[in-house]
Amino acid sequence: MKNLLLSVAVLPLATIVHAECLPDYTGVTLTISTQNGPYVASALQTAAESWEAKTCGEVNLVEFPFGELYPKFLTGMSQQTGDFDVIGFIPAWVPDFAPYLSTMPAEMQQGEAWDDIHPVYRERLMSWGGEIKSATMDGDMHMLNFRSDLFEDEANKTAFMEQYGYDLAAPITWDQYYDIAEFFNESDAVNYGTAEAYARGGQQFWYFFSHAASYTNNPSNPGSMFFDPETMDAQINNEGWLRALEEYKRGLDFGPPGSLNNGSGDVRPLYAGGSVAMNLDWADSGILGATEGSIAGSVRTAMLPGSTQIWNHVTGEWDMFDEPVASPFLAFGGWQLAVPIDSKNQEAAWSYVAELTSPELSGAAIVTANTGVNPYRLSHYDNIENWLSIFTEEEARSYLSAQRASLDAPNVALDLRLPGFFSYTEILEIELSKALAGQVEPQEALNTIAAEWDELTDEFGRDSQLAAYRASMGLPPLN
Amino acid sequence: MNDRVKHIFIWPAFLLVLVITLFPLIYALTVSFQTVRIVPPTPARFVGFDNYADILANARFWGAIATTATIVIISVLAQYAIGLSVALALHHNVPGASLFRVTFLLPMFLAPVCVALIAKMIFHPVLGPANEFFSMFGLENLPFLTDPNFAIAVLIAIETWQWTPFVVLLMLAGLQNLPAEVFEAARVDNISAWRRFRDITFPMLLPLSAAVIFIRLIEGFKIIDTVFILTGGGPGTSTETLTLFAYNEGFKKFNIGMTSALSFLFLIVVIVFGTLYLAGARKLTQRYAQ
Repeated sequence: MKNLLLSVAVLPLATIVHAECLPDYTGVTLTISTQNGPYVASALQTAAESWEAKTCGEVNLVEFPFGELYPKFLTGMSQQTGDFDVIGFIPAWVPDFAPYLSTMPAEMQQGEAWDDIHPVYRERLMSWGGEIKSATMDGDMHMLNFRSDLFEDEANKTAFMEQYGYDLAAPITWDQYYDIAEFFNESDAVNYGTAEAYARGGQQFWYFFSHAASYTNNPSNPGSMFFDPETMDAQINNEGWLRALEEYKRGLDFGPPGSLNNGSGDVRPLYAGGSVAMNLDWADSGILGATEGSIAGSVRTAMLPGSTQIWNHVTGEWDMFDEPVASPFLAFGGWQLAVPIDSKNQEAAWSYVAELTSPELSGAAIVTANTGVNPYRLSHYDNIENWLSIFTEEEARSYLSAQRASLDAPNVALDLRLPGFFSYTEILEIELSKALAGQVEPQEALNTIAAEWDELTDEFGRDSQLAAYRASMGLPPLN
Repeated sequence: MNDRVKHIFIWPAFLLVLVITLFPLIYALTVSFQTVRIVPPTPARFVGFDNYADILANARFWGAIATTATIVIISVLAQYAIGLSVALALHHNVPGASLFRVTFLLPMFLAPVCVALIAKMIFHPVLGPANEFFSMFGLENLPFLTDPNFAIAVLIAIETWQWTPFVVLLMLAGLQNLPAEVFEAARVDNISAWRRFRDITFPMLLPLSAAVIFIRLIEGFKIIDTVFILTGGGPGTSTETLTLFAYNEGFKKFNIGMTSALSFLFLIVVIVFGTLYLAGARKLTQRYAQ
């Protein structure tokens, strides 16, 4: 009788404890994996703590070096080992991973939090084959960074006007970009004009793509930047790409000696340390410049320059435009999360993903040092106040408006996402570095890349590659 | 009866060795005759010697052999020449020999990745001390890591710097084990220091020298860390070594069949170089022994 009374007394208490776990995942342990921290992994850890407190579940975060992620995830999922409940990976791998990923629950694809994700991420990068297979947890694109102290200096403005005949401002065409780079390279105001990454293995190809998007991402032929979306023939040796390569190479003249060996990690401190007037980079340069660099207060960001000419691969001619067309390139595309089909805790895993990508947690992550998380929600771009711990108000407005404008640009260019991504980019990197070092002519390098890309496409299966390419570019399947 | 007992003891050890040592090799050899790709996932298919033929027809493979051989041969020769000289100096108890002994050995204890990172700073074309040094002679901003010839020279210098201590260590041990009475007799006969070295020390050290150089040659062919960090194999493929080539095939393209074939070709290359070297070393040793 005593025991019965005790049980009755304890029952409400137990219900209270239980009620604190919403949803209740007591006894569930999620295995979550991504690259070695702090970047990305620290954001996953913070979300894990928050999710554990809410749901009473547990999270086991497993980190691997970046180079090991792809084979570990793919092998695990293809062999149905059930090793991972949530994986953190890059969009370029989606074509290979998609068959093994579960679809995002319908309830996550609606409501305020869903509508708050920028449509480019929501509708294009998170979608594969008409289904939402992943959740963006980080927004990424290439942008132009410049220094307001140099660009707004009266002496510089006057000298630039005299030399080039137009106002010194953030460049809106690549021609202007090189004028400005040349001007500052010759000026005493700063050491060098601009900095970009050129090193093989230093993410050089994304920089090259950023140039090429302006000359090859033709709005009349959507999805034709890398391959002909009807035949899967490589387009990388057409005149648009040639011009992009010649210009990309020209940038070496306006950077520090040894730029050929600079990776993206070298480009950031060059800008943040005040050695260059501009650089091209992801959002990291701006953050570094404002927080740890010597140019705090002068960090300004702009959309990548565009062009008034874009190559039309169908007509084999340049299409001319009255105004420069901006074709900002979503280099890399940002880290994503997904739940493999072989996860035994899919519901809990998606609940964790929802927690991590919630406006509250992601809003904190984007302004927390070393998370590696950049804005991707509309609320991230609108909430200037949130950024004042890092930037001045002018810096924040410039930084956020450049990113928002890039995503809103009608001719925004998506990154290459294709099965065998690294096989294609390795060929590209080798020939690109030969051309940049002057070992071969740019056209010869591009012809070699095109021929080897076509060979690779045939080896992987032209039809399946074409279907994957069209899906990655948001084009409907061919009949 | 005894025979049966013998088998009971031998077979477990034999099977263990078979599983641990031979199975991976046999598995890799089998895979090298197939097309196996993880990306995009491709079912295994027997292709005979196609993978080997493709690699042998690939200019990049021969380029990687030439690059690796250049780095290894020049750096090992330099390591031996410097290492033997330092060992001789330390053997003759120069002032501060104990301090030098410890100091000279330090580079060998560093991880090659750390060495490469240090070298990357030293050979920075603007900020590095190497640039400051050459600037004194009017040679500013030399393309240490972006010109193929400079980059290979830098890699040779790094290999030499890191692995000369290994040669010093072994040659010093060899010198300390040479019979003292031979040298005493030479001194009594008033034989010059140079002739003592040429006719006594060097010939007596020759078998050890051959072994040390052989070890360094084999180890040198595995070079990957420093190249990966410093140049990534570039510009183009001008500094790409055999192991880096194999790494790129295996971990960028995930072409497992091709990578396995490449590994065995790598083994053959090392065996060929090793055999040629041993044949030459044997002749030299025999000539001095006569």
